[in-house]
Parts: sequence; structure tokens; C-alpha cells
Amino acid sequence: MEVTTTWYLVLSAVLFALGSFGLLVRRNPLVMFMCVELMLNAVNISFVAFSRSLRDLAGQTAVFFVLVVAAAEVVVGLSIVVALLRRNPTATVDDFAEMKG
Amino acid sequence: MMSLFAQVPVSTPEIQWFYLAPILILALGGVLLITLTSVAPVMRGRHISALFTVATGVLALAFLPFIAARLDGLVDPVAGQGGRPAVDLVSSALVVDHFTLWVSGLISVAVILVAVMLDGYLEREGFESPEWYALLLISASGGVILASAEDLIVTFLGLEILSIAVYVLAALHLRRSESQEAGFKYFILGALSSAIFLYGIAMVYGATGSTTLTGVAGSMTGRNAAGLSPAVDSSLVMVGIALMLIGFGFKVSAFPLHIWTPDVYQGSPTPIVGFMTSAVKVAAFGGMMRVFLVGFGGTFASDWRVLVLFMAGFTILFGSFLAIVQTNIKRTMAFSSIAHAGFMLVGLYAAASPVAIGDTGKRAVLFYLLAYTFMSIGTFAVISIVGKKGDGNHSIEAYRGLAKREPLLAMAFTVLLFGQVGAPFTAGFFAKFRVIAAAAQVERTEAYILAGVAMLGAAVGAYLYLRVVVAMFLDVQESPSTEMADSADETLALVEVRALEVPPATLAVVLLAAVVTLVLGIFPDIGSGALAEAALALVR
Amino acid sequence: MAQYLPVLALLLLGSGFAAINLVVSKLVSPSRPTEEKLAPYECGIVPGREPPHRFPVRFYLIAMLFIIFDIEIVFLYPWAVANAGLGRFGLVAILIFSALVFESFIYLISKGALDWGTLQVNRRLSPMVNEDRTVESTVRKVGLVGRFEEVESLKDALIDGNAATDSVPEQDGAAA
Repeated sequence: MEVTTTWYLVLSAVLFALGSFGLLVRRNPLVMFMCVELMLNAVNISFVAFSRSLRDLAGQTAVFFVLVVAAAEVVVGLSIVVALLRRNPTATVDDFAEMKG
Repeated sequence: MMSLFAQVPVSTPEIQWFYLAPILILALGGVLLITLTSVAPVMRGRHISALFTVATGVLALAFLPFIAARLDGLVDPVAGQGGRPAVDLVSSALVVDHFTLWVSGLISVAVILVAVMLDGYLEREGFESPEWYALLLISASGGVILASAEDLIVTFLGLEILSIAVYVLAALHLRRSESQEAGFKYFILGALSSAIFLYGIAMVYGATGSTTLTGVAGSMTGRNAAGLSPAVDSSLVMVGIALMLIGFGFKVSAFPLHIWTPDVYQGSPTPIVGFMTSAVKVAAFGGMMRVFLVGFGGTFASDWRVLVLFMAGFTILFGSFLAIVQTNIKRTMAFSSIAHAGFMLVGLYAAASPVAIGDTGKRAVLFYLLAYTFMSIGTFAVISIVGKKGDGNHSIEAYRGLAKREPLLAMAFTVLLFGQVGAPFTAGFFAKFRVIAAAAQVERTEAYILAGVAMLGAAVGAYLYLRVVVAMFLDVQESPSTEMADSADETLALVEVRALEVPPATLAVVLLAAVVTLVLGIFPDIGSGALAEAALALVR
Repeated sequence: MAQYLPVLALLLLGSGFAAINLVVSKLVSPSRPTEEKLAPYECGIVPGREPPHRFPVRFYLIAMLFIIFDIEIVFLYPWAVANAGLGRFGLVAILIFSALVFESFIYLISKGALDWGTLQVNRRLSPMVNEDRTVESTVRKVGLVGRFEEVESLKDALIDGNAATDSVPEQDGAAA
């Protein structure tokens, strides 16, 4: 059986769906981060697969930028989470509900 | 072994630094501010960071007329852009045209006003640190990049530079747990939406084989830069467009993606909310217009404009009706900002139409952005003053008797609120009138319905602003405000005791915003030349 | 707008299917809840409390710093490989990029993010923290190395009742 571009695209779609599902159902802030990372990297798989099937380098360059953006997001997100967990060390996302209305 | 490294020279793009000036000034201003305050303790003095930021914004603003003049003087504008002057920069990563300049101008003005407002705020709250200003500048540079990006990857980078800095700013009030909660919510939902946006880019890239907007647009009409036509999978493009619409919809807080807005606006430091409603919204709409009108404006316009139509209608209704039940002014204004985003989407719907109506729509959105930038910054400057130390005094009750205590502030606030209502002789009237008129010009049944919904929303929305106005002109509270939504009992007592301190600089921002609201309402054609040029620049 | 009809139909079908299933299972299935059945499923021994995870926040900081400099390589590596072809343009570009990354390093140093021991800010501001208590002195005091003279003088001071009141408070850090 030959592995075609479609396989990679399906893999990417599944990972993306897993990531977004995890982001919506998990209650641990750190796990939610990992889900964000999973989503971004799922997109990277798509980019590389398309780039290969189109024989065009733009998709692979995009991956570099996405990696950097992902790193920046992690740094910022982690610092916000650390600040939150310093107030309440066992906080889950359900505890971040001071504001409603 | 040597052959591995002996490569043919790569053709490198020529950098036209002059046209990049607004982005470079804003970004380097932020970096320089951080560096100077790190190495020179002198720079950490009071007001210096604010002055530096204002100077940077003014410098960026001052470059715009020169760039415009240089653009108009171009002998050979880039071909295939409707004959409008535009310059492709850094091998088609960015494009500078009159639309870019309009958006850059609005963002620079927002940076200047927010920096002035932030100075008084930080002094009151006791956080005199340069990071706030540096993040403001870097975020603004991301906004300019977003609005001038010619390549979808650069659009994504701009969007992220814009947002990541604002995530931090939202969480930066270290003594309020609401602020960190707001930062976290904004961050998680923002990261989700940017991942979805990125997936949309990947889909479009896969379908069209190009990430540049001209390449995308070209491949849809059966040709691209290389002359090849990859078999464009139109369903893949549609999925991509829908995903990107979600990404932009989040940033402008449009209907199904608006849920974060009230919480984030309530929790974030008030001047930063002013920045979010002005610069972030301007930049997001700028990027959205460029991507959707230039990139997907041809073949697929009739597909996505339906989605925009529904988004616009529901956004207006949700924003206007849910605002009524709020007791916290920041939440009220958050719903009002959702409603305003809906009105701008009405303009975008009209802008997706064929040429003549499309231009009216684009002009309407750009004018709306101009008016809303000033009105929202002024409004949040007042809210920031009334918030008192601790930034927690935000119930509508807190505005009772403001007209007696601070007549000037109350007058200016009344003008700004009437502007947001869309009362005649204010900028808001023409902003709303123009988007609704543009939608009515489309002359389709659904467009008439949308225009009707927009008028209904405007009428309902009037109630929420007038409620605040009435509170201001009522007597001082008979019963001490018991229903303060977001302050604990003990801080409530403290907040009550403290008098209202009005920093003169912040008051100046409020007055300026009110004056601009009035002037634009009486002479709505000021700057219409630049407005028309900016709108025309998006024709491809 | 006609092209969106299938989407609408799918939405209605999907939500209708879910709703019918929920209603039918509610009506048809017998409901005899017991306490054990209602408890969330857990594997193994039910944890009595959350495991303690006390981590100095510094480690998070170092991890974040690592990410910044880690990502720098993502751009440096392709540049190094393609350097010959890129020529002066590539060199200038990578120098600008490195300068910007290096700037974050300057900021970190000035914020004291790379200092261990007492926070620089606290050292400067708080009257509670002794100015002399640096990284070296703290380690030295904990580790008793080269402390014998101090201990001897402390003993002398204790023996000499008059001097004790003067000198003991100064040795606060050492005693702790």
C-alpha cells in the first residue's frame, strides 16, 4: 500500500481534532497548552504534506514560522499559568470563573 | 566535501526601508525602550516610558504623509492592481498602499492615546514599568504587519505578534486576579482561534499552491504567477475560507466567537481594553478586508459573503440585547463593542459586492474604524478614571452624580456615548448610516433584512448608553452602591472612600476623543480623499 | 445561498439524531442508581489528596528562557547551511535577528532572571534582607566552609557576656 499525501492530511486532521477536543474537555491548564501545541503541529504536518505534493517550498518555510510562533505562545501562556497557579496551586480551569454575567 | 557548500547565489530581495518605516519605527521603538530601560536606570524614571511611546507613535504617524506622497509619485505602480499605487516589499511579503497607510495611521493614533491614558493609570496603580509600553508598541507593529501582509504566512505572523503581546497586557495587572483570569481566557481561546486560522491557511495553500494573496486570487481564476494552474479544489478552498473567517471572527469578536469578550474586557486593565477595542479591532478588520477582498474577492466572494451576512446580523443582535442586562460598565461596553463589530461586518458584507457598491462598503468600514477608534478610546479613558485605584469601581451605579462632581468629564463622556448610540451630529451617526446605506445598496432581499436588523440593533443599543448617561445626571446615590459586580466587600469600602482623581493627560485624551467625535459628526467629509484612496487600494 | 442548504440539513439531521437518542434512552432504559454506580470511575486506589508538587517558579522561568534560545537555532541552522548562496544579505539579516534575540538576553539580565539565591529586587528593596547575603555567602554559610573563625568569635562573644548582646544579632544569617 502506498502512502499518499491524503494519509498525511488525514493524520493531520485527526491530530488537529484531538487537540481541539482536548482543549475543550480538559480542565488542567497545562494540558490545555499541550493541546494547543498539538493543534499547531498538526497544521505543520498539513503544510509539509502539501508542500511535498505541490513541489513548492513555501509550505516548509511556513513550518519554521509556525514553530517560532508556537514557542512564543508557550512562553507567554506558561507565564500566565504560573502566575495563576501561584495564587491557587491546585487550580483547574473551572476555578477561573470569577467573572460571569 | 566542498561541493556541499558551493551553492549558486540565491536571488535576495531588495529591502525598501523607507516604505517599511511605520512597522520598523513601532517595533524598534518597543525593542529600544526595553533595552534602554534595561541598561540605563535613568530611563526608568516616571513618565519617560510614556513620553517615549508617544514620541514613537508620533514619528510613525509623521512618516505616513511622506509615504503617501512617494506612492502617488510612483511612475509605474505595480501592475494588475487596478492602477492604484502600491509597492510590494520584501519579495511580496508586504504591500504598502493607501489602505495600509490608513490602518497604520489609526493604529499609531491608538498607540499614542492609549500610552497617554496608561501613564495616569499606571501611576495610580503603582506599576511604573516600561514593559506595558514596549508590549503596546510591539503589538501595534504586529497590527500594521497584519493589515499590510500580502502573504498569508505573514498575515499569521502579524496576527500573532498583535495578539501575543495583548495576552500579556491583559494579564499584567498583577494585583487583580481577574486580570490574570482574563489573560488566561484570552490566551486559550486566542490560541485556539489562531490554530484554526492557521489550518485555514494550510487548506488554502494546499488547494491553490500559493500563500500569497495575488497567487491565491490568481489561481482561482485559472492562472498563477508561474503560469501553471494547479487543479484548484474548490471545496478545500471553501473549508480554508471558513476556517480563516473563524480566526478573524474571533479577533473582531463576531457572533459565534464573541464569548470571550465580556470576561476579557471586564478583567483586563482598562487602558488595555481601550487598546483592544481600537488598535486590535482596526488591525483585525484591516487584515480581514485585505485577505478576503483581495485574496478571496473574486470567485468565492458570493460564498463567504453569506457567512459574513449571518455573522453580522447575529453579532448586532447579540451585542445589543445582551448589553441591556449588564450591571458592570466594562461588560456593557464589551457587548457594545461586539455590536459595533457587527456593524462593521455589515459594511464588509457590502464591500464584497461588485465594484461600485463594494467601494461604498469599504469606505463605510474604514470610516467606522476611524470613528470607533476615537469613541472607544475616549470611553475607556473615562472608565479608567472612574475605576479608581484598584480598577474595580465599574458598576453603572458608580456613575451616579458624575455630572455634579466632574462636569467636564461627564459632558465629554455624554458626547462619546451619544456617538456610540449613533446620534446625529456625532461621528457614530455617519458611521452607522454609511454601513447601513451600503448594505441597502446591495439590493437583495437578505441585504435589506440585514439593514433592518442593523437599524433595530442600533435602536436597542441606544438604551444601554442612555442608561449610563441618565445615571451620570442623576443625583448622588441615595443608597450606597451595593451591587458592585466585581469587587469584594472590603475593597468596596475602600473604593467608596477614595475620591476621584482625574489625571490631566487622561482628561485631555477624553476631551480630544469627544471633540473628534463631534467634528467628524458635523463635517463627516474631513479626510474623505484619503478614505476613498484607501478603499480603492483594495481593488484587485 | 442555496449551496448552504445541505449544511443546514446536516445540522438538523445531526442534532435531531442526538436528541432522539437521548430521549429514547431516557424513556426505554431502567434507572436504578446506587452510590457505587454514580461514583466516577477510578482505576486503582482512590487518591486521598493531591500529590505535593512544590516546584520553585524559577524552573519555569529557566524553561521559558530555554525555549527562546532554542528557537533561535531554528533560523540559524538553515542560514548556516545556505550561507554561501545567501551572501551579504543573509549575513545582515541573521545579524539583525541575532541582535533582537540578544536584546531579550539583556532584558533578562537586567531583571535578574538568571540570578539564583535571593532575588535581586528583594536584595535592593527589602530592609528584611541583608545586603551582604549574596549567593556566595549564603552557600558558604550553609556549607560551614571557612566558617571556623566566625564560629570561634561567636563562642568568644557568648562567653563574654557583655559583648554577646552586640554581636549575636549580626550573626543572624549564620545562626539561621
